[in-house]
This record gives sequence, C-alpha cells and structure tokens, in this order.
Amino acid sequence: MTYLDHNATTPVRPEVVDAMLPWLREGFGNPSSVYALGQRARAAVEKARERTAALIGAADASEIVFTSGGSESDVLALAGAAWQAHDESQGRRRKIVTSRIEHDAIRLLGSQLRRRGFEVVEIGCGADGAVSAADMAAAIDDATAVVSLMHANNETGVLQPVAEAAAAARAKGALAHTDAVQSLGKMPVDVKALGVDLLALSGHKLNAPKGVGALYVRRGVRLAPLITGHQEKNRRGSTENVAGIVALGLACELAAAELSAAAAHALALRRRIEAGVLRIPGARLNGHPELRLPNTAHFSLAGLDGHHLVVALDLEGVCVSSGPACSSGASTPSHVLTAMGVDPKLATASIRVSVGWGTTDADADRFLAILPKAVERLRAAAVPA
Amino acid sequence: MKVRVLAAMSGGVDSSVAAALLAETHGREAVVGVTMKLLARAETGFGCCGSPADVDDAKRVCETIGIPHYVADMADHFEAKVIAPYVESYLAGTTPNPCVECNRSVKFGHLLALAEAWGCATVATGHYARVSDGRLLKARDERKDQTYFLYSLTAKELSKAAFPVGELTKDEVRARARALGLRTADKAESMETCFVPARDVRGFVAARPEAAGAAALSRGPIRATDGRVLGEHEGLASYTVGQRKGLGLTSLAPLYVVRLEPETNTLVVGAEGETLAESLVAGAVSWTRGVPAGSRRAEVRVRHRHPPAPATLTPRADGRVSVRFDAPQRAPAPGQAAVFYDGDEVLGGGTILRGGLS
Repeated sequence: MTYLDHNATTPVRPEVVDAMLPWLREGFGNPSSVYALGQRARAAVEKARERTAALIGAADASEIVFTSGGSESDVLALAGAAWQAHDESQGRRRKIVTSRIEHDAIRLLGSQLRRRGFEVVEIGCGADGAVSAADMAAAIDDATAVVSLMHANNETGVLQPVAEAAAAARAKGALAHTDAVQSLGKMPVDVKALGVDLLALSGHKLNAPKGVGALYVRRGVRLAPLITGHQEKNRRGSTENVAGIVALGLACELAAAELSAAAAHALALRRRIEAGVLRIPGARLNGHPELRLPNTAHFSLAGLDGHHLVVALDLEGVCVSSGPACSSGASTPSHVLTAMGVDPKLATASIRVSVGWGTTDADADRFLAILPKAVERLRAAAVPA
Repeated sequence: MKVRVLAAMSGGVDSSVAAALLAETHGREAVVGVTMKLLARAETGFGCCGSPADVDDAKRVCETIGIPHYVADMADHFEAKVIAPYVESYLAGTTPNPCVECNRSVKFGHLLALAEAWGCATVATGHYARVSDGRLLKARDERKDQTYFLYSLTAKELSKAAFPVGELTKDEVRARARALGLRTADKAESMETCFVPARDVRGFVAARPEAAGAAALSRGPIRATDGRVLGEHEGLASYTVGQRKGLGLTSLAPLYVVRLEPETNTLVVGAEGETLAESLVAGAVSWTRGVPAGSRRAEVRVRHRHPPAPATLTPRADGRVSVRFDAPQRAPAPGQAAVFYDGDEVLGGGTILRGGLS
C-alpha cells in the first residue's frame, strides 16, 4: 500500500506504540490516586507535558492542557475563550473574528456561537489560499472576544498570517487562537514567536494515536471549561488518557529532534510529486506555490471527479484524498477552494497528496506511475458537460 | 490490472445478495461495492438510492461480505437524465418510466463507464433478470421479473451486465441474506419512484421550477368520450391512462381514464372497454440484438407485471415500431414502455407514443 494522506492521519511510530504499552498494562493507575501506582502515572503524564511544551516553545509545561484531540482543543479554545471573555466583560466582548478556510471544528462552532448571540466574522482568502492579515486586523475591535486563524490549511497546506492576526488581537485586548494541527511536526511552530494565547494540536497527525491532543493555554489566560472536573488544573475534566498522553509526548519529542530532516525530506518528495503531476495535461496546483507546508500538495485535474479518482487510486493500493475526509461520498466543492474562488467544477476535480514519516521516493514514483492512466480513463468516462 | 466486478448496491436486500453471490463466485478481492448517491439533498427521509441510511446499510453489508465499498455521487447526472425528463413527461401529459431511464443512462450508462475506468469489466445489479449468451432473459421468478425496466440494454451493455439474483426467487434471496447474516435480509421493498417522497407525484412535479405556471398542473374539465363534462380534474399531471381511483366522480359504472388531452387540458374518461387499444406506436426504440429485418411476432408488455400479449411488430423506416395486438389490450399509457418478448427473451422495446394508440 502506498499511503500519501498524512494530513488525514499518520501511522503510529513503532517506538511510540512501545512506549504506550506499559501504561495499558501494569501502569494502569489513575494519575489522581495517592498511592505509588497513581504517582507513576502522574509522572508519565507530566513528562509528556514537558515534551509537548518543548515542541511548541511554551514557557512552562503547565501551559499544556491534554484533550481528546484537535477538534476538542479547538472547541475548548474558541468556545472557552469566547464565553470567558463575554462573561468577564459583562457581555461587551461578543465578537469572534476567524476565517472562511478553518477546519469544521471551528467553522461549525462559529455557526453555533452565532446562533447564541455572538457576532462571528469570517475573513476570506485570496486566490493563493492565504487569508489577508490586514483584513483580519481591520475586523478586530474592542468588542472582539477571540480571534481564531489556522496555522496552515489542512487542504492546501497554505500558511496563514497567524503572528499578524495575533498582534492585532493583542492590540485590542482580544485572545488569539491558532489551530496548528496540520503544522506540528512539519515545520517549526513557536507560540512565543507567533504571540498566540491558545494553540491546538493533535496526536494522530503527529505519528501518535487517535484520541489524544493538546491545547496550549498561555499562562494567565482563563477559559470556561467545557468538560468540568478537577483534572488538568480544572481546565479539562476526565481521567487522563495516560497511554495516549505518553504517546503524544514521545511523538512531540521525536518530531522536535527530527524536524529539519523531516521537513527537508517531505519537501523533496513534494517537489517530485508536483513535477510529476503537473506534467499531466489539465493539471494545476492549488494554493501558493511556495508558502505552504512542505508535505502538502493540492491539485485540480480538469474533467474528472476527484472522488472517483480517489477510488481508482485506492483500487490500485494508493491512498490520497479529495477534499476533507467525508464518508458521505458527496462530490461537493470544498469550502476552502470555494473561498479561493476556484470554479466549482474544477474544485470537485481535486485531490490532496500529503507525505510524511515513512514516505519514500518509491511511494511517490508508484503514485506517479499510476496517476496518469487513472486520470485518462476517468476523463474518458466523464459525462460530457 | 486485475479484472473486477462492480456491484451496484442500493442498500436493499436484492443487491446485497447479488454482491454476496459475486464474492462467492469471483472471490472477494474481485468485487467492488458501489452505492450511487442520486439526490443532491442530504436528507431524504424515505428510501432512495444513496440516502444516508441506505448508504449505511450497503456499507455494513460490504463489511460483512468483506469487500470494499464506495459512494459515487451521480446526483447531477441523475437530475439531467432521469428527474428532469420525468417532470417534462408529466408536464406534457404523459406518464414517464424513470426506472427505464435510470437503467439506460445511469446504471448501464455513466456507472458502467465509471466501472471501466476503475478496472471493472462488469456491472452487476440486484435486478431480477438473466443474461445468457448475450441475450436478456426474464428472471426465473417470473412474478419478480424486472426485464420490463431493462429492455434498453444493447448487446454491448449486456456483455458487461450481470444479474446474480435472476436465478433465484425473492424468498430464496431473503433466505440467502439471512444465512449470510446480512442486515438487509428483512428490509422492506421499495415499490414507488425512488426520488418522489410519499408517492406525491403531483406535489413533487409542482415543486419543480420548470413546472411554474404549467398547464398540466391547472384544473380543467373531465369529459366523457362523448364530450359531456362530468367534473373537474386537478391538473393532468395527477392522472394516468387506465386509472380508476381518485377521479372524484360518481357514476353507475366504474369510470377509467381513457386519455389525457394536454392541448385542451381535458381528462377523458369512459368505461373500461374504452381504454382498450388494438395497436400502438413505440418511439425511442432499442433492440437488444439488432433491428428485425421485417414484421415479426412477439409478445408485448405495456406495463410492469402486464402479462405479455401476443402481437405483430412492424419496424418502420423512421425507427419507430408499430405494434398490433392479436386481442385489444387495456390502457397502454403514453410515456410508459412497450417491451417486446420472444418467450423468455427480451427483444427490445420503446416508449409508447401519444397519438399512436388506436
């Protein structure tokens, strides 16, 4: 199998699996328990917290709140900050500024908060897939509770002006959140350099398992918790997922140690793939040609349905995706490409290729060997418009 | 590339068993389950191919059988090739047969083309029909036979079609599904037009933008064949030739719809005998194994489950076919299919034309 969909999820590294097992077996203690069994679990969680903090340059490990994943981290950040700021300002701060290209965790929560009385402003992006920092800044005012802009887009990989948006938020006394789920482990991400108050990350995008993530909460920032309970310093209830947290911690440490080599490896693979795909007539790259994650390439191949191409490639043992993972199979243009102004027909004729840990030149070559024929056959089968 | 079979799966029991039988005969690695998403709207609330509940059933059945499953979004194609012509037919005062169009343009049209692109040599469905030596044959279970809806397949399509349940009875299919532990084993059968909610054809047609101001939805007179006005109809799109119920008339003898006259927005009714036709003309004719050289004998069905009636077919120079029945047949409806049989074999068929009945 040739797996080229690392933005959807990643394989768990064997050493990460090994590190988890003791905490699923003999080390099953509850980190809140008084006795030694619990203390050992607590120590493992705290070590993981330090490793996670180190990957993103957090000043203190206590700024890391473990969650069940990227979506929970996003929701805790946006809803937790929005309600907290709303309450602390006696309802004066009731505006959320975000973008039209966010992950559904943010987008759908935005619609829900809008129904509950918040003013939610979604800033569009340019044809290159980047949100304009100036447009973000212009929308942020004294009534803004929180600003949320993703670090890199999950579909196109295009990098977003998070530092500028965070500075604009700070100037107006609003909190700044970034969804960095797709960026961690692929490029340097530093919370101090970005100037953000909140940052969401996910384990399974980083060669740790599904079901674990974290939210960076800058010291001094208060959030209304979503899951009440005493764990995570009252910020997130529920007994800690010790094995998952240990896995995330190790994955963060490995990512930090290997970051520059991994990024260079991914970029070389991506360039190889881009050169190959763009040789196909009617192929184009979506998003900014350079200011992207090193591992992500998003293509449109005019005259076919991207979902049908994904099926054709799967039948040959190659995994890529068309738009965001969607089980319904509906071939609808993605909100990201729509925001970029891509024609709906061309937007549905798209696939995303994302490389990562374990991807080889042979994987890229196998994909490039199969793709042109699959495209040709699907174009021949397409209904004339 | 491996040779595969594409199993078109609606989420019902027949196509579930069809896929399971293929997995047994061809091997699981050679079968690909596909459910077509045919409607643009996500929620349907009734059983239509590709409604979320049916997609879920098909997926779960594939998991049980151990074959991959994909959804293919064909909503645009289905709209253009099936729904729009269906509405157009009603608005023109005829009674469409969308299942024929779906088999022609969607299942053995676009899906077949897609199957080829995916390396699948065959498209299999859960239809009750058989293919043998390139001939399309009635199902072994004649009560379930669905060849009426498949007459438009030509030799090329028949060479790539498979109907694995055509050798079984419905009871055998359900027993097979139960034995295999398929969750669709006792699922109710859908008999209505799959994309029309709650059998409300009139409501469906009326809600379409192209129906705005259409005469076929306007009230008009109901007349007897001798011209007397007997009442008022609610728009011709609500009626089909041969219909008895829902006319809102009281009379001594039962009254039937004899014909629809869109030119004057008139619904003509009469005694059952007045719906009898001695002959008809079929257009948009398709032959499974080529056009016959001249007139020939055949049995003709004018609706699903109509016992095939002996007749003489005469292909005309314009491609249409004149059908003369040995004995008059009750209520052939313009827009419906006339399907030609030679015993078990389907020779072809066409659409019953307005004005061709006598």
